[in-house]
Amino acid sequence: MNLHFKDKRISGVLNILPEREIAFKEELENYNFSRAQSMKLKLIMGYEKRRIVDTQTCVSDLCVYGLNYLFDNDLLNRDEIDAMILVTQSPDYFMPPTSHVIHGRLGLKQEMICLDINQGCSGYVVGLNQAFFLLENEAVNKVIVLNADTLSKKVSKHDRNNNPQIGDGASVTLVEKSVKSATIFGKVKVDGSGADVLIIPAGGFKTPSTPETGILKEDTAGNRRSMDHLVMKGDEVFNFVQREVPVMVEELLEFAGLDKSDIDSFIFHQPNKFMLKKLADKMGVTYDKMPNNVVEQFGNSSGVTIPMTIALNYRERLLGGSFTACLTGFGVGLNWASLILTLGPLNFCEIIDYE
Amino acid sequence: MKKFESLIAEILEVDSVDLADNLKSFDSWDSLTILSIIALCDESYGVQLTADDIEGSLTVGGLKDLLTVKQP
Repeated sequence: MNLHFKDKRISGVLNILPEREIAFKEELENYNFSRAQSMKLKLIMGYEKRRIVDTQTCVSDLCVYGLNYLFDNDLLNRDEIDAMILVTQSPDYFMPPTSHVIHGRLGLKQEMICLDINQGCSGYVVGLNQAFFLLENEAVNKVIVLNADTLSKKVSKHDRNNNPQIGDGASVTLVEKSVKSATIFGKVKVDGSGADVLIIPAGGFKTPSTPETGILKEDTAGNRRSMDHLVMKGDEVFNFVQREVPVMVEELLEFAGLDKSDIDSFIFHQPNKFMLKKLADKMGVTYDKMPNNVVEQFGNSSGVTIPMTIALNYRERLLGGSFTACLTGFGVGLNWASLILTLGPLNFCEIIDYE
Repeated sequence: MKKFESLIAEILEVDSVDLADNLKSFDSWDSLTILSIIALCDESYGVQLTADDIEGSLTVGGLKDLLTVKQP
């Protein structure tokens, strides 16, 4: 589906890194694989270290910390927030919405829109789209898009498919009306027939967690996980991404009337180095135009990897200037979505540590 | 498809392969090797295979046959 938005812009990006850092090498003993095999995995996928939360830290904690940082440093006025969207797959509770928990903890005004969106790896783009929709309304001038996940808590330590890459994190993005901004072009696609490709089978209303769903079982590849853990059909995800994402970006470029060479940076979700390099190869994009350095330092924190990529690679450039970016997310759902927009100049573009 | 044997040998971390070689008999055989084969087949032959396709083909020759059948 093609979308376009006028007179809107991203005006700030803040990332919040959780407290614990784990090196890949620390966890080799957890896996049913030889050291040599795991080191090859590390090399190809680009695993070094990752950031995760302590057991008691929740999505609301990371988001409240980030928003308070913006308030305290006069980067955001709390009374100006007309809407707050939280994109997460790891809410504090089933009910109430975690956005409301955050709203309450910060004492925000009653006259505003507050909503949760359940979306993962494409969630940052989905959240931005929702912000753009809301900004079409006269009463809405500034929207906060919170994207945060703590899925490390749902990944088995003995699952070499998922554990070495899972990271936690949060981001706060300010989106606002801006009359002089260039048109934003977007594309969104869904394939719910792949809903089981990335899934946490138990713990929801369909299959509540019980002692039985918590029992670790070994799969054919030698990974051990329970029904309460995240499970991914890695080969299907890989094929889906290689098949669908390049096509979507081509279609979006055509819709926007742009050429691949007009895009200064392809800022993509960061599942691992291998997948991003293969995507760049297939799309005919040079590696310097598609950064892939987030997973090796912070892990894969779902949609949050996109604002992380922005702040990690382009901070100086975006505080002073702007460029044309293609933001693309893909994953659980299955859902894949892409935006072409002018990024910057930003009022803030930072990475801070949660304390 | 002559190049196939040398490409697959590289992924399997051996100097050369025989068409009769059993895929699971290689020391390097794991999910990462399977993923590398999936990527190779997509990149070099335009064929998308699943992990089940590859494991089901059993031998190097079986994999080569599967690729020939599926190649556009």
